[in-house]
Amino acid sequence: MPQKNETQNDCLECTKKKEVRWREDFPVNWDSDNYVTRREMVKFLALGSLTIAGANAVVAALPHILKAQEMPTKKIALASSIAAGESKLFSYPTEEDPCILVRQNSGDLVAYSQVCTHLSCAVVHKEKENVLFCPCHDGYFSVDQGRPFAGPPTRSLPRIKLEQQGNEVFAVGVDIS
Amino acid sequence: MSTRQSQGTTLFTALLALIGIGVVVQLWLLAASVDALLGHEAETPLYAAIASGVLFLINGLLVLYVFGFDKKLRKQKSSSERN
Repeated sequence: MPQKNETQNDCLECTKKKEVRWREDFPVNWDSDNYVTRREMVKFLALGSLTIAGANAVVAALPHILKAQEMPTKKIALASSIAAGESKLFSYPTEEDPCILVRQNSGDLVAYSQVCTHLSCAVVHKEKENVLFCPCHDGYFSVDQGRPFAGPPTRSLPRIKLEQQGNEVFAVGVDIS
Repeated sequence: MSTRQSQGTTLFTALLALIGIGVVVQLWLLAASVDALLGHEAETPLYAAIASGVLFLINGLLVLYVFGFDKKLRKQKSSSERN
């Protein structure tokens, strides 16, 4: 038994020596490298605070920047071609922005972005119920204001500003507020 | 550790916690303002940005104060060691 203990001790020494050699070859002290002092932490938090304040300023400035951009005027339909309760699809301001024009039963024309504010599916007009409906998750928007009133969407559809000149209907801007 | 040093340690830890809370509030403000922006509200992000800026100023002042305190303490320590 004592012999066995001696050999075990020898082996322990061997591994220690091996470890020392390994340390000499790769003199990187991970523990001290990963140690973060409170001073460093405070500096990191202060920089993080500055970054977040900057991001907040950018978010606050975005609506004003977007408003300042001039929107094109685009002819989208003939007013006489849409009867009360009917709808027509168009794209505005670019070809990749689908929109929907609806003539309400009162005779007024309203237009909204066709992209659902929940997960960007295309909303459709349900003539019988007079609502804008998103078939992906059963979201419902009112036609008169574009506000969500059922289903998962929580934000209103962006409204397209319209102008009527004679029989022609033009899209002139997007109301984001 | 002298009383002054232990005071400094407590102060540093307390201010670290305060700054941490400030940063968490700023993160909440950022999330709220992004949500308001997507909801086509222009005013909410503006007030959130102002509040975030004020919080940053408070955090900055706290950092400057704690570093100043630390510097003073180190100077005192080195001068007492010399004497």
